[in-house]
Amino acid sequence: MYKCQYIKGHRLRTILAAADCIIPAHGHLESAGSMKTIGVMDHAISQMPSQLRFQFLLFISIVHVLGIFFGGRCFARNRQSDQIRQLRWMERSVIRGFRMGFLGLKSYICMGYFTRESTWVGIHYGGPLKYDQSPPDLMIRNLCQNKCKICV
Amino acid sequence: MKKHYDIVIVGSGAGGGTIAQKLIPLAQKGAKIAMLEQGPHYPHAFFTQREIEMMRLFRFNGAWPVTSGEITIAAGQCVGGSTLMYTGVSFRLPQEVLDEWHVPDLTHEDLAMRFDQIEKDINVIIPPDSMVNDNNRLFHKGCLSLGWPVKKIPLNIKNCEKSGFCNLGCNSGSKQGTLEVQIPKAVSAGIDLIPNCHVYGISEKKVHAIIQKAPPGTIDGPWRPGKICIDSDIIVLAAGSPCTPGLLLKSGFQEKLPGIGLNICLHPAMTLYGVYPKPIVNYRGFPKTYYTDQFTDAHDYYIETAFYYPFIATRHLGLWGKDLSETMSKYNQLMTVLVLHHDNVMPENRITVNRKGIVQVQYKLNRQNIASLCHAQIQTARIFFAAGCEQVIMPCASPHVIGRNYCDPKTLAQMIQTQNFIPIKTPVSSAHPQGGCAMGEGKNAVTNSWGQVYGFSWLYVADASLFPKSAHVNPYLTVMALADRVGEHIVRSGFNQTDI
Repeated sequence: MYKCQYIKGHRLRTILAAADCIIPAHGHLESAGSMKTIGVMDHAISQMPSQLRFQFLLFISIVHVLGIFFGGRCFARNRQSDQIRQLRWMERSVIRGFRMGFLGLKSYICMGYFTRESTWVGIHYGGPLKYDQSPPDLMIRNLCQNKCKICV
Repeated sequence: MKKHYDIVIVGSGAGGGTIAQKLIPLAQKGAKIAMLEQGPHYPHAFFTQREIEMMRLFRFNGAWPVTSGEITIAAGQCVGGSTLMYTGVSFRLPQEVLDEWHVPDLTHEDLAMRFDQIEKDINVIIPPDSMVNDNNRLFHKGCLSLGWPVKKIPLNIKNCEKSGFCNLGCNSGSKQGTLEVQIPKAVSAGIDLIPNCHVYGISEKKVHAIIQKAPPGTIDGPWRPGKICIDSDIIVLAAGSPCTPGLLLKSGFQEKLPGIGLNICLHPAMTLYGVYPKPIVNYRGFPKTYYTDQFTDAHDYYIETAFYYPFIATRHLGLWGKDLSETMSKYNQLMTVLVLHHDNVMPENRITVNRKGIVQVQYKLNRQNIASLCHAQIQTARIFFAAGCEQVIMPCASPHVIGRNYCDPKTLAQMIQTQNFIPIKTPVSSAHPQGGCAMGEGKNAVTNSWGQVYGFSWLYVADASLFPKSAHVNPYLTVMALADRVGEHIVRSGFNQTDI
């Protein structure tokens, strides 16, 4: 069992929705907006330096609130086309903080998705040759192997 | 805690490891020498070949951003430094670059002699054809069909298992970095290796540091955690750029040496991808065996073969949405190259320390850098198409994904434009930070040609910070040769130092 420490409430809903925009389903690949992605992300966020973590979580809250300007409601409740429009605006914004924040959000979603073994099948990646080498951190290994339940 | 040593080396990468080996004769004569390393000492069994687990080998998980956010720096933080996770590329410093450096006493003959010896020590070879995987074969084919020179990359490897995980720590110990070659020799000659030792300041013949607890699964050092002050007759800084100049700045040396932190280059790099019509399994075999120098003189970049793991690949691609899912679903069909741009020293780019004492790299890409990187994308797209790719993904193209129908150079040049470069959004990285303690003469020089800091005869620098300008090529062999020179000077001078 892995209990999320940082991704909860409106942040959980925002990240799940953003993950579906950033990595949508395609062929054998499922979309990224799932608790499996959230588990790996939350664990990675817990390892961040505290100031960086604060900035990251603050940015997620800003994404949540800014949804109002792109679809009339908070980010997760907007239509996906409005969510994509908002993310694209942040990615190309003249304000550096939005571009950095978007890059951080996208990077953590990709980390939460592409480091999981179930994803490797869909992208035809063979993974490590020394498959059973002892992990430096058992929890992250279990999360990537989908061996533990994730709850908030 | 207090300790006394005759010589303290700060850092254990290409510079620190090499200088430790060079000082073995002094250790054998009874000199007390310590090598301090901020990162942990990892055993081979630690390298699990999984990118999320191995991000800890790097400072800031491999993404140390410059202050503008335009580039992320990948630098090792472990015993062996960046030689633990580089690909083993061992180029000699080109003669024309050395001529540009204008460092008195640093001659081509002097370096050539050292390169000969180091190449023997670390087993630099030209990889045989049996080491060339599909990605490299296609790169070779693409360059040849365009009429461009394509050459093999010299590598320091021995009995390579070709598993493809060089950048996550070599599990078999085949890559002959300092963790495998120089450091074991130095330790067996009696030099003390101190991992998990964070040096936060230096003062007159003193090193101030904190020993941290060894992370689980790593090799413990000989000292207990806590603060430590080490008296030392000679201090050699080999923490790499930007950490060596950062440490000097934190310690207040800039009052006498205003050139500290200046003259930096980053070798801005872009990793580019093409989609081949069938699987090429680039993730197995040796990732780097070929390069082309077709555009080095006119456009300031090399193109080398490369390979990166899935998560890192998504960062390089610069895509999201449908384009990302589609491209990654063909991960085993991706052809990959690395563009390495040799940037010029600019006065506004520098290493600084903020109010909290954190080392920062102030760096902005200028128009010339961006023009070179765009030119490189056009030429790389041509290589991919000439090799048979169906699509290429170019971060400065509009749209990013270009199909084979648009493969002629004129159309590519219309699609790939500098105005499409958006700082931070367009992925640019650096694995070769250089400069900040330039060697030579002149107002910005920090050390003489032997790495001895002006005005402080007990203090040396022995890493890539010494470069007064870009090395153009991957810098590790040059760092080792310069560290060898610094070591020779220390051995020759004995301990009777006088101010220079």
